[in-house]
Amino acid sequence: MLLLVPLGGLLLLAVLFDYLVVVGPMRSTFDRSLADAAVVFAAYVRETPDGGVAMTLPEPLARQLAEVQGTRPRVALFGADGRYLTGDAGLPAPSAGSAGSGAFSFATAALGNEERLRVVWYRFEAGPRALVLAVGEPLGDREDATRPLVTATLTLDVLQLVAVVALVLIGVRQGLRPLLEFRDELTRRQDRGLEPLDESRAPQELKPLVAALNGLLARMQATAESQQKFVADAAHQLRTPLAGMQAQLELLERDAQALPVRDQVRAVREGLKRLAHTAHQLLTLARAEGSATLERDFAAVDLRALAEEAVAQYLDRALGKHIDLGAEAAAAEVRGVEWLLRELLGNLVDNALHYTPAGGIVTVRTGPCGDGAFLEVEDDGPGIPPEERPRVLERFHRAPGAGGTGSGLGLAIVSDIVALHGARLDLGAGAGGRGTRVRVEFGVGESAREA
Amino acid sequence: MRILIVEDDELVADALKRGLEGSGFAVDRVGSAESAEAALSAEEFDLALVDIGLPKTDGLTLVRKLRRAGNDLPVLILTARDALADRVDALDLGADDYLTKPFELPEVAARCRALIRRTRSATSAELHIGRLTLDLKSRTATLGGAPLEVTRREWSILECLALDAGRVVRKEKLLRAIASWDEELTPNAVEVYVSRLRAKLGEAVSIRTVRGLGYRLDEPAA
Repeated sequence: MLLLVPLGGLLLLAVLFDYLVVVGPMRSTFDRSLADAAVVFAAYVRETPDGGVAMTLPEPLARQLAEVQGTRPRVALFGADGRYLTGDAGLPAPSAGSAGSGAFSFATAALGNEERLRVVWYRFEAGPRALVLAVGEPLGDREDATRPLVTATLTLDVLQLVAVVALVLIGVRQGLRPLLEFRDELTRRQDRGLEPLDESRAPQELKPLVAALNGLLARMQATAESQQKFVADAAHQLRTPLAGMQAQLELLERDAQALPVRDQVRAVREGLKRLAHTAHQLLTLARAEGSATLERDFAAVDLRALAEEAVAQYLDRALGKHIDLGAEAAAAEVRGVEWLLRELLGNLVDNALHYTPAGGIVTVRTGPCGDGAFLEVEDDGPGIPPEERPRVLERFHRAPGAGGTGSGLGLAIVSDIVALHGARLDLGAGAGGRGTRVRVEFGVGESAREA
Repeated sequence: MRILIVEDDELVADALKRGLEGSGFAVDRVGSAESAEAALSAEEFDLALVDIGLPKTDGLTLVRKLRRAGNDLPVLILTARDALADRVDALDLGADDYLTKPFELPEVAARCRALIRRTRSATSAELHIGRLTLDLKSRTATLGGAPLEVTRREWSILECLALDAGRVVRKEKLLRAIASWDEELTPNAVEVYVSRLRAKLGEAVSIRTVRGLGYRLDEPAA
């Protein structure tokens, strides 16, 4: 748009210039032919025997002149002093000038009846007398003659202007289209597109840009991958000693004879267990951020199988706490990262078992929902007050009265994983307003992303 | 029952050895895949507990080598990585089960027992779960040595659960096991047979209902 203002100005200037170039020479051409006529008329000026002057043009010549001029010219004869002698009395008198014989002077004169005349005065000598011959031509005639030309020129100019503006608009849009498509593709891939862009599909002009971007993406991917490797190595290096210490403490607790020692060992073991859990969660968070940036990690995931697996996995813990853990799982498939969804579900079940008192009920559900699928975990524990709900998703946030355990990372991990899958998280109360129900809805967009 | 532990971390290996010995297993331990191969070729074992992260040759390579050599010893993989790829690899390569670190010792013992039981039932046609013994050939059960009277359908369900003791067995699978005979059966039929079995088995083994999923047969805690 910024381009159109100067462009329009430039084109308007061109129109003005055309007008001047066409109209200027035409005026002088008309004037010259008027002067020619004056010279012709002057040749027929005769002195009359009575000492006056007379001007008689042979009829064929007069007709021919009229044809050339387009109209019968008005002619008058004046003395050098501007005195009217003979001819058309309507023509204006020349100004008394000192210009010599053979000089022309031009003027545009307005007549009383709105008509305007272009007049030429020709000074000449007929015998001893200095005379001025005036020839007038209605300006209207001239305009009639020039109008088609001017109109044609200006019409052409305006057409040209419109065409140029249109071409510029189309050209700019056409030229920008690959760039816009490129932008759309970049927008579409959102946060997980670290795969290189297809350079062969990019328009010629964009190829260097695409190549540069691919270089950047490759470096980012390398960074993501090395971070993944680091996290995996860190997991290994942390878990093995933790496993060793935990198992050793388990044996120590079993073998301890004195009760106070056994209690102390159990306390240390519980602490170590929490440490291991937190370490696992932190590593999960770190890996989740890196992993889901890779499109190749996404695949079809059977939510029902994950739900049943989670129930089987947490069954012993539930039995230990006298909680009825069960499933209401219908077939549900989403496109996602399987290990992340397993972590998500594990965290939800873990939380539910943690907060639900003995004798409670925890249910894992999956099924279709709209064009997508859902997954939810419901318990009949104390629930989360509505005002607390947004905050429980924050990292390291701990619900008031949550007791001494828990890292405050579980729901933050859930929230991250939900976001990475473009899913929707709903935190509410369970059936009858009791307990907590966490529902994750995977939209149609997620399952359609494969296409 | 003899177990070979292949683990290079001293703390973990020692705890596993003592923990499993406490659960009644005979245990040997080695710290590398190379010495594991030597031990396995020299002695008879019922199960190998193999860590993935071993110093020279890793645990997965060891499992692959064993399977290629035709050794079908049950293998329980221990891993400190929870990447899905590792688990899938482990099972694809012929490991029978896997456990992630950190673990609890009773869980390790239960998994070892279940794995050994499953492998033995394939060869010996006899299944022991606590005081319960199933003779898979003659389709008879004894409880503490005394014959246990079960109907054919009860037997089918008990066999199904016992073969997968310690694991959740889906109700649909149990229904299929008894449905092959005659009239239409509803899932309620499974419930009826399970409750009859529970009454007959008493305290010897427990059959837990897993709501919405199925049942799990457990040996009573030691």
